[in-house]
Amino acid sequence: MASSSFSSSSSTGSGRVVEERRGIPGAQFVEDVQIYLTQISLDANSALSFIQQRLQQYNVVEMKLLTQQRDLQAKIPDIEKCVDAVATLQAKKSTGEALSANFEVSEGIYSHARIEEIDSVGLWLGDTIMLEYSLEEATDPLQKNLENAKASLEILVADLQFLRDLVTITQVTIARVYNWDVHQRRIRQVGAKPAQD
Amino acid sequence: MQQGGGSETEVTWEDQQNINNFGRLNNRLHELEDEIKFAKETNDNLEDASNELIITDEEVVRFQIGEVFAHVPKDEVEDRIEQMKEVTSQKLEKFEEEKESVLGQMSELKKILYGKFKDSINLEED
Repeated sequence: MASSSFSSSSSTGSGRVVEERRGIPGAQFVEDVQIYLTQISLDANSALSFIQQRLQQYNVVEMKLLTQQRDLQAKIPDIEKCVDAVATLQAKKSTGEALSANFEVSEGIYSHARIEEIDSVGLWLGDTIMLEYSLEEATDPLQKNLENAKASLEILVADLQFLRDLVTITQVTIARVYNWDVHQRRIRQVGAKPAQD
Repeated sequence: MQQGGGSETEVTWEDQQNINNFGRLNNRLHELEDEIKFAKETNDNLEDASNELIITDEEVVRFQIGEVFAHVPKDEVEDRIEQMKEVTSQKLEKFEEEKESVLGQMSELKKILYGKFKDSINLEED
């Protein structure tokens, strides 16, 4: 069982540890607040600020993952459009016709082009590199990119769900430590009263 | 998560898992609502496009593929648009079904969690 980054012992006493995943530290679920506070030898206030710090860290990671997710979600339709374009070119080639098209020269200005011999396409590999492929060869790298992108997105979504769980556990722990503290203060107040009579 | 008035309600691991699941379902619900909205918009655009096609008397239509507008015969464009509408409608149906299921699971969990925690927990959208 992976231990969370602050506790010296592995989880016994109070609660179980949700293991870390891909570098994100896990969150400890607290069974009993009293035992938990004793275990980490902190009073309620210090524990609260420690846990809230953890929550902040999770929020930062979540922002990062959400940005990555948005990027991937934009990339996938792009690749699908490329696959579509290559398929259209292949279809046109098999009928032997030339393909006529309007393409953008500058914003709002289009020019007419006629593509006669449809043999190869250039695939943009990123930055300033474009590689020429024959029509048959082009579909493979595109499909592979599409599959990779979809697989990465799946992993990312699972990461985000895992993170969400950690955030929820941490929020519940904060609420419970706070409630426990309020409860303890009440007990102390009640205990102190008889002494005043 | 609302803070209670200093009560000592026990939270078990099972409770925590229920709360976690509720959170996950809620997120999924929002994602689905966005997807549904996008699919409906796409469907509307495709509808508008096929209406335009019916009105136009040109034989060759400029159909967008990637970043260019290819000159495609009207019939082929009609077919393509029909196909795209099929795909989008199926996606829409699937999303709506999943949304129903998610809402059902969420209301089950609400019953369980409100049952145990009553006022100490808030599961509503703020």
